[in-house]
Amino acid sequence: MAYFRAVDPFPLESADQNKLHEFYEYLAADRLVTTCCGSCRRLAWPPRGFCPECLSDHFEWVDLPHEGTVHGFSIQETGLPAGFRAPVVFAIVTVGGLRIFGPVVGADPVALRVGDTVRFAPIRVADDSKGLARHLVAFAPGARPA
Amino acid sequence: MRKVALVGAGVTRFGVRKASYRDLVWEAGKACFDSAPAVRPRDLEGLVVGSVMPERTAFQSHISSMAAEALGITPSALSARTEHMCASGTVGIRYAYAFIAAGLADLVMVLGVEKLNQPAADEAILNMGTGVDRDWEACYGLTAPPCFALAAQKHMARYGTTEEQLALVGVKNHAHATRNPNAHFQKGATLEQVMGSRMIASPLRLFMCSPITDGAAAVILASEDRARDLTDRPVWIRGTGQALDGFTLTSLHEDYAHWPAMKRAAESAYRMAGIGPADVDLAEVHDCFAIAEIIAYEELGFCEKGEGGGFVAKGRSDYGGEVVVNPRGGLMGCGHPLGATGVAQAAEVYAQLRAEAGPRQVPDARIGLAHNNSGMGEHVVMIYGREAA
Ligand SMILES: [Zn+2]
Repeated sequence: MAYFRAVDPFPLESADQNKLHEFYEYLAADRLVTTCCGSCRRLAWPPRGFCPECLSDHFEWVDLPHEGTVHGFSIQETGLPAGFRAPVVFAIVTVGGLRIFGPVVGADPVALRVGDTVRFAPIRVADDSKGLARHLVAFAPGARPA
Repeated sequence: MRKVALVGAGVTRFGVRKASYRDLVWEAGKACFDSAPAVRPRDLEGLVVGSVMPERTAFQSHISSMAAEALGITPSALSARTEHMCASGTVGIRYAYAFIAAGLADLVMVLGVEKLNQPAADEAILNMGTGVDRDWEACYGLTAPPCFALAAQKHMARYGTTEEQLALVGVKNHAHATRNPNAHFQKGATLEQVMGSRMIASPLRLFMCSPITDGAAAVILASEDRARDLTDRPVWIRGTGQALDGFTLTSLHEDYAHWPAMKRAAESAYRMAGIGPADVDLAEVHDCFAIAEIIAYEELGFCEKGEGGGFVAKGRSDYGGEVVVNPRGGLMGCGHPLGATGVAQAAEVYAQLRAEAGPRQVPDARIGLAHNNSGMGEHVVMIYGREAA
């Protein structure tokens, strides 16, 4: 993967590259959070730097549920970009009233249905060019074990 | 506002080209100048280049100046690049149109160009990921097929659209491409071949998708006075519209088969042109995937919502039907060199409305519509006419 070190498709997540770095720090700690506007209390997905409704840039991180419902999904079987292996189950998952995009990892594509419950299961992707770990939101089939 | 017309158009051969980015610029520019003998490069006051990812595919930015120099154009009024993913070419035409309509220029070329194929095929696909949100989508390997698959699934579930109807869009556009010597694919495809081609993202199979294509196209836009001097058959821009629902998948309408921005863009263009969907003789629509053409029939008003599958199956979008959709072969048959697509659509409308489209001529074509989208939530519509109004 040496070729991709300079500009790859994964976000730069660290504090010196990204004002939303706390999102990724929570992700590494197995927490799914998003921004809640400190002024009008609107919840956003994806997280935002300022609120387009009231223009406040004061926001708080709030935890989202770790279970969601599959709103729609599609399985790509061929033609994935360099660095990604087919098949990938791309899903829109409803979590706490928000629509969140992410892969369902470890799903049996034949068995997955719209309306199924999936659970938050973050994944680790390629480290950044300084060797710092990077994580992304993802889901796994089934409810969260109690 | 002043009236604006197309007075020249040229297209390169589309395909997996043994040519550099600059080679494609040269080819399209020469083809366009050859079509307009009264215009020389030094006459042009402006150049707009629609191009999406030359930084990744050709290690080149500063595109409009590079292309101007290659073509011998020295812009005195307008020089710009437009990047709007798959709609970049049509967005460029709108820029040039607005400049000329406002009186800021009289004669401007719009050139669209893309060199998508790379020595490593999976890198070409990786580059397509730059068109979706890096932080929330591209980082998972998302490109267009799974997005449009969501729309296809929803359309099938809600309206009973069938895989065969999706395949018939591919059959029609591949058949049209056999009459286009510049198309990426010229062999046609039977229903069995389309239905049996490999699955990309269910239910979209290979021959229901546009390929990775290199190519370029150019058109020349002129103010009314200049247009009448330069040609006896200018093709007039009668209306245009653009509308956006959102960028990321999760910001779009939760019914992925419902594309409200396309309807709004079309309504703006129809209103400006003073016509309705029934007046359109041919339409170049953005069939990046078969489902996109079916939804386009509906959102452009050629049929009711949900009837798009039957519209193609009954031949209503083919020669002899109500509106000939994608006579040059569409993105599926011609290929989709992103920035070049919208300009190539304009070039096709130019040929059709001048009755110069040869074996694919739509009889007595008077009104042509062109539609580009950038993903499912962003749409641009142009309406062209043989008469100025
Ligand atoms: Zn707010």
